[in-house]
Amino acid sequence: MVSTVQTAVGQYLRNISNAVFSTFEGMAVTMSWMFRRPMTIQYPDKIEKPIEETLPDCYRGILEVDTGVCTGCTACMKACPIQCIRIEVGKNAETAERFLQRFDIYVARCMFCGLCSEACPTGAIHHTSHFEIANDKLDNLLLHYVPGEPIPVYKPKKDVEPVRQPKGQPYLAVRALCAHAWRKEDHPDGSAPAGGGPK
Amino acid sequence: MLEPKAVPIDGMLRINMGPQHPATHGVISFIVETDGEVMRKATADVGFLHRGVEKMAEITSYPGFMPYTDRVDYLASMFANHGYAMAVEKLLGVEVPKKAEWLRVIADELNRIASHLVATGTMAMDLGAFTPFTHWIRERESINDFMEHICGARLTYNYMRVGGVCADWPVGLSEKILVWLDHFEPIIEEFNRLITGNEIFIRRLANVAVIPAELAIDWALSGPNLRASGVPFDLRRSEPYSIYPELQFDVPVGQGTQGTVGDSYDRFWVRILEMRESCRILRQLLAGIPEGDFKAKVARTLKVPAGEVYSKVESARGEIGYFLVADGSDRPVRVKIRTGSFTAVALIEPISPGLMLADLVAVIGSLDIVAPEIDR
Amino acid sequence: MRQLADALLVTLLGVDPATWPYAWVVYGAVMLASAALAMTFVALFAGPVTVVERRVAGRMMSRIGPNRVGPQGVIQWLADGLKCFLKEDLIPDAADRPLFRLAPYLVFGGMFGTFVVLPFGAHLVAADLNVGVLYLFAISSIVVVGILAAGWSSNSKWGLFGAFRSAAQIISYEVPSALSALTVVLFAGTLSLQGIIREQGGMPWDWFVVRTPFTFAAFFLFFTSALAEGNRTPFDLPEAESELVAGYHTEYSGMRFLFFLFAEWANLWIMSAVATACFLGGWNIPGVSPATIDSATGLSFWGLQLLSFIVFAAKTSALVFIVIQLRWTLPRLRIDQLLEMCWKYLVPLSFACLLGVMIWAWGVTVGSLVDLGMRLVMTCVGAGIAFHYARRVRFNYMADRDNYLKMTGKELWYPPYRLP
Repeated sequence: MVSTVQTAVGQYLRNISNAVFSTFEGMAVTMSWMFRRPMTIQYPDKIEKPIEETLPDCYRGILEVDTGVCTGCTACMKACPIQCIRIEVGKNAETAERFLQRFDIYVARCMFCGLCSEACPTGAIHHTSHFEIANDKLDNLLLHYVPGEPIPVYKPKKDVEPVRQPKGQPYLAVRALCAHAWRKEDHPDGSAPAGGGPK
Repeated sequence: MLEPKAVPIDGMLRINMGPQHPATHGVISFIVETDGEVMRKATADVGFLHRGVEKMAEITSYPGFMPYTDRVDYLASMFANHGYAMAVEKLLGVEVPKKAEWLRVIADELNRIASHLVATGTMAMDLGAFTPFTHWIRERESINDFMEHICGARLTYNYMRVGGVCADWPVGLSEKILVWLDHFEPIIEEFNRLITGNEIFIRRLANVAVIPAELAIDWALSGPNLRASGVPFDLRRSEPYSIYPELQFDVPVGQGTQGTVGDSYDRFWVRILEMRESCRILRQLLAGIPEGDFKAKVARTLKVPAGEVYSKVESARGEIGYFLVADGSDRPVRVKIRTGSFTAVALIEPISPGLMLADLVAVIGSLDIVAPEIDR
Repeated sequence: MRQLADALLVTLLGVDPATWPYAWVVYGAVMLASAALAMTFVALFAGPVTVVERRVAGRMMSRIGPNRVGPQGVIQWLADGLKCFLKEDLIPDAADRPLFRLAPYLVFGGMFGTFVVLPFGAHLVAADLNVGVLYLFAISSIVVVGILAAGWSSNSKWGLFGAFRSAAQIISYEVPSALSALTVVLFAGTLSLQGIIREQGGMPWDWFVVRTPFTFAAFFLFFTSALAEGNRTPFDLPEAESELVAGYHTEYSGMRFLFFLFAEWANLWIMSAVATACFLGGWNIPGVSPATIDSATGLSFWGLQLLSFIVFAAKTSALVFIVIQLRWTLPRLRIDQLLEMCWKYLVPLSFACLLGVMIWAWGVTVGSLVDLGMRLVMTCVGAGIAFHYARRVRFNYMADRDNYLKMTGKELWYPPYRLP
């Protein structure tokens, strides 16, 4: 009987001391964070360098196509699990020369899985580090990489390196798509981004 | 079968908790019958997030289904990747290079930590403590950055391929991860001081929603939830795959540290212990990644020979298994995905009677339920 | 306030308030002005303290917090208020409309009523009632009526849950909170808050909190009960957002919703101010006795008033910070544990404290050697706790310092005054 009472009283006192000391320890942790550096990155305006430069090379951003080295093999179109790439290759009946009539990427549908860029034999289709594609018009997200005249396909030659567009310098379509994204250099006064997509 | 949601019951209050409710971890609904604060029954009403992933598999090519597996469990998509890759490899008979196996396991274990961080963090948040959650999200951010370097994406990794992984191991990343592990392991201790040892937190979880071992096995519970009930069943040990047999690690099981074996606190504590084990595994793996290819030579358009296969991996939420039927074409005939959360959410109904309404939140959190894994 | 009005008459008009026939006009004007002043004070406290709370919470969570509206986010609260003003005032179809509209004002009125007796400085008090503490507990109970009305009238199950939880909670916690406040009433021999403060002194060893171990314990008991009465974490069950969506104000929007939050943050000041007044020496300026303030005239009188307000506000703000910190440290109790804590722990303990103080007050004369010795011991205990706390904070900081530097290449040191 006595021992039961003793354990009960002991438990009672233990509960109180546990509650007090664990709260004390917890407060010591939260208080220490008042003196520790916060993790927050103040995207997009108060960052040290543009966000694209902080991303790794393998980052899977918006797809872009270097039509200069595209062989028109349509491997990317076949690899795409959601059919967001549309390629039409035409053939000149006289010279038997193939040319790209159409190379569209529907960025709104793209899930950035990277299967197309892996399938590409020349690296013509690849991911950029741009990702700010928020847009007020869905049509703007349909990128035409063959905007006008058909482009002759690239024929790989032995021992000849293809002339590629410089990396990290996305083409007009991608740049236009991200044109409305907030850039510090465009807004030195820290004003808000203007609405609307590419004109 | 569920009764109509709005029918009144005598002497009881029927509440629809969800699908828009802050504590249900995504779009799940619970139909709760309560007598005041005490629940008589809580039934999970699932299906709000059904996307037909299994059906999509039947109309996509074998490699093309890989990105979809990311969406099976967005907090631990490496495991979904891994299980699917293993299933196709088994049918194809592809030998995965040694290096690829190492990279896969590194990614798995990083992802396991990230997933447990969210699980334990949201659990504390559901009980009203917000700070531990943001601290864990901060640590998870580091893992997301590593994942970005490993595969180029932060959430839907799509890292594994049939026969290996998608990219070579980035130069210098091992050192970065090791430095982060040095920082992370003391932070676990800090987390324990902040919340794990907190008397209120212990009181809210200890002896709440006890799942005895037999019940857990009967309901096909798996993963940390099963181990918390005291069953030392871990696919990494029990049916080893990949390079797990070569690794040194312990399988933490629920000890009933603050109450009964299999209570909510054990489920929380097992996850904390597993994070420590994952750190241990990562240190072993990063010490020496073998040289070699990161991907086996596999045909571009996969034609998988006819047959059936079941492959399973130990995900952060229990066993994630793929049952794959192939007919020799380039598309699967049937893919069935078995996930841990689905069995866990079913168990809420039998354990809910007699709990308080506030306990339901703790139970959902402790079972670490993720909505897309339930519905797929 | 009477003394203040008298002082005003003497200083400005040079008339004797006892004989001047128009003194009541000035008294009336001073009453109105003090009501308006208190209202302004509440608004000017409750608004910015939301920003302070969010900034503090941000830093504790290793975030920054709101820092965009105005310099460092200082007018974030105005933006939030304006937003709530412009929102549509939704009333659910099935709601009890009159009650639904009335409830926020009941809650707000209950909170605001306490400002009648809350002192701000030596003579800065709206009415120094001789039943001050009693009035305080009585008027703050109106809040529960408002919360109950809000939850019931919104005809929402979540609201109802919140309302009933709140009713059970506030009524239960009135008991330990009143019992532990009684300890200082026994010491001071008066129910008037100003009287209680006057019995203490400016120096820490003069405060009631260190007079005996019993008042020391009673302070923490009172503080805990006040937290529960104010629906602050870990006792925020009536609005537990992860269980009850938003509890009793689930269905409220716009301005009415703002009233609930306004009352909640105003209550932050109230609970801290009462604790300061009862236990931590109130507005007593170190080294200046209340009698000196009373007998001061002219400019020095007003200067001392201001100084006493600053002392009081500083102490109260420190407590407000602790309340905020507790909110971002602790998880929430369950309703049965909440009531268990009240009836099994707080009530018996506060009763024991009351008994202890009774025996102490009967046996030990103020100013005797035993009294002075105990004050010294308890002050040392308090200082020891503060020192140990600082050591634990430093320990937590040092545990991560080197690893953090190695990981990010940046110093971990980032003191609170450094603004991102």
